[in-house]
Amino acid sequence: MILWLRRNLFRSIWDSITTIVFGGIALWFIWISIEFVFITGRWEIVEVNLKLFLVGRFPEELMWLIGASMVAIAFWVAAVAGGSPLGTEPRLRLGERIVDYVRRFGLIFALAILLVVLSNSMESLLWLGLIGVGVIAGRVVGRMRRDNKIIQKLPGIIWQPMIATPAIALVIFTLLESTLELWGGFLINFYMALISIILCFPLGLLLALGRRSSFPVIRVVCTTYIELIRGAPLFVLLLLAGVALEFFIPPTISPDAVFRGITVFTLFTAAYLAEIVRGGLQGIPSGQIEAGKALGLSTVKINSLITLPQALRSVIPAQIGQFISLFKDTTLAGVALNLFDVMTVGKVITKQDDFLGQGLIYESLIFVGLLFWVVSYVMSKESQRLEKRLGVGIR
Amino acid sequence: MSESVFTDATKMSGDRKAEDAIVVMRGVVKKFKDFVALKQIDFAVGRQEVVVVIGPSGSGKSTLIRCINRLEEHDQGEIIVDGTELTTDVKNIQEIRKETGMVFQSFNLFPHLTVLDNISLAPRQVRGMPKAEAEELSRELLERVKIPEQADKFPAQLSGGQQQRVAIARSLAMKPKVMLFDEPTSALDPEMINEVLDSIKQLASEGMTMVVVTHEMGFAREVADRVVFMADGEIVEVGTPTELFDSPKEPRTQKFLAQIL
Repeated sequence: MILWLRRNLFRSIWDSITTIVFGGIALWFIWISIEFVFITGRWEIVEVNLKLFLVGRFPEELMWLIGASMVAIAFWVAAVAGGSPLGTEPRLRLGERIVDYVRRFGLIFALAILLVVLSNSMESLLWLGLIGVGVIAGRVVGRMRRDNKIIQKLPGIIWQPMIATPAIALVIFTLLESTLELWGGFLINFYMALISIILCFPLGLLLALGRRSSFPVIRVVCTTYIELIRGAPLFVLLLLAGVALEFFIPPTISPDAVFRGITVFTLFTAAYLAEIVRGGLQGIPSGQIEAGKALGLSTVKINSLITLPQALRSVIPAQIGQFISLFKDTTLAGVALNLFDVMTVGKVITKQDDFLGQGLIYESLIFVGLLFWVVSYVMSKESQRLEKRLGVGIR
Repeated sequence: MSESVFTDATKMSGDRKAEDAIVVMRGVVKKFKDFVALKQIDFAVGRQEVVVVIGPSGSGKSTLIRCINRLEEHDQGEIIVDGTELTTDVKNIQEIRKETGMVFQSFNLFPHLTVLDNISLAPRQVRGMPKAEAEELSRELLERVKIPEQADKFPAQLSGGQQQRVAIARSLAMKPKVMLFDEPTSALDPEMINEVLDSIKQLASEGMTMVVVTHEMGFAREVADRVVFMADGEIVEVGTPTELFDSPKEPRTQKFLAQIL
């Protein structure tokens, strides 16, 4: 221990000075944080407004739909992850596996517990339990897909929609039962990000392929689109969408703000995704395409079976980074489109009678930041793991 | 260049006649911008014939065989493969590529697929063969190139020689009428060259039509029905291995052989 300290922190005078200065700053910072979180911070503003933070003014009698949607989404994600091919890393023993899970998901679990404690209701604990059941069920179903001979035979085009159906159906059902104006809080940010991610992915792929197309019209259209979108600030696009979407669709429809947000996020992220994927495609040696051609594969099949699978794997971190960025940028939509999203909630509640003029904006915004940070951090960590796993067999 | 040399390249070995030709090139010209890679090539390959193409680097050997399956588009002349002329029509190109297998210098296996999937991919996707049948075919082919135990590995886990043999099996899976080899052993460590050459020799003995671009003169002498010597985008001299290696007529051939033998 002492030896380690000497070797790494106090090797020379300069090392010692650096260690003391930066160590001091770090300790001071940690102390300030602890003091704020546990002593001076007044978290009752979060506790009282927890429901507003999470779902806005969503009607109480429909809350079960949101709970059920979360369970279905958890099931979906777990089923996809559980069905992924095994990596080459050695199988862990039970104890090691628990440590592994805690390291990977401990943070999000801790946040969930925190939310349940703050909500102070049995109902939320029940939902947390059900989400846990959803995850386990998804895992089991995913495993079956990997190990069961009969289920393996199902083509992906049937299987993937099958495991996604409950989630998608419940989200749509929620939409039908409530009106979008009732949606709010973190729910809006989460759904906007989730839907945009799902929609922008295929669009981004098509744009990337289009930009590399040998057909000039397609290439020019895709390139123009990508460069236009990438050159404009997201905030401006969101503001524009608030008024200008009517140019493109009949004014009788008059889309909701959430819809406008999703449209902009999808179109915006697709342009960035296209460039990321194009980067990945450019990294594929031309010999791969030649080998495909020599075997008589069509251009579509060369793309879908040879170049894209390789390109997408090599750009997983950048892709997920883009998705994380999209997720966080949903807070901009609150301001630009007058949505009652988590950010707006965070600001509005400080003006409630009980908390007015007490400077509680810090507590409020820190809580919002925490929600985003935990989800983003877990996504980023999992993407690194995914990258390693899918790297099997690649050079 | 004398006229007789051109007719030489279209005259096939043995008693093959013009209608036995499976690949015919007439007056083929290929340019890369200002550089003329192939100058008026007339060339034919007969059924079950093994033609070895040799020559210094930059002489157009690879371009010649890459024109046959349209990896390069020729600028003038005509190329006929198995009775079908190569045109710009995509369907037509696809048809010809189905009938021609190609093995590359750098293997070009698909790194994200297992050995078995590498081989069964084209039969399934192009010929519409059911999965089980394609996999059985793939295992048979792996048996033929003597690495049946590697079926479930990924290309990166194999040695260079094994990878190239998988590449040969992958081409054979399409049951091609002609196999094109583009310097198949040039990227290999010396101790692995023979295992690949053995696989190619075995194919030759089974009657596969092949065009092989190589620097392995011993192999050419042993396997070739005809050896074509190319330099500066032209076919300089054609003959049986004995004729070409033992009594080359053209000064350029003599010089080249003196350098490498």
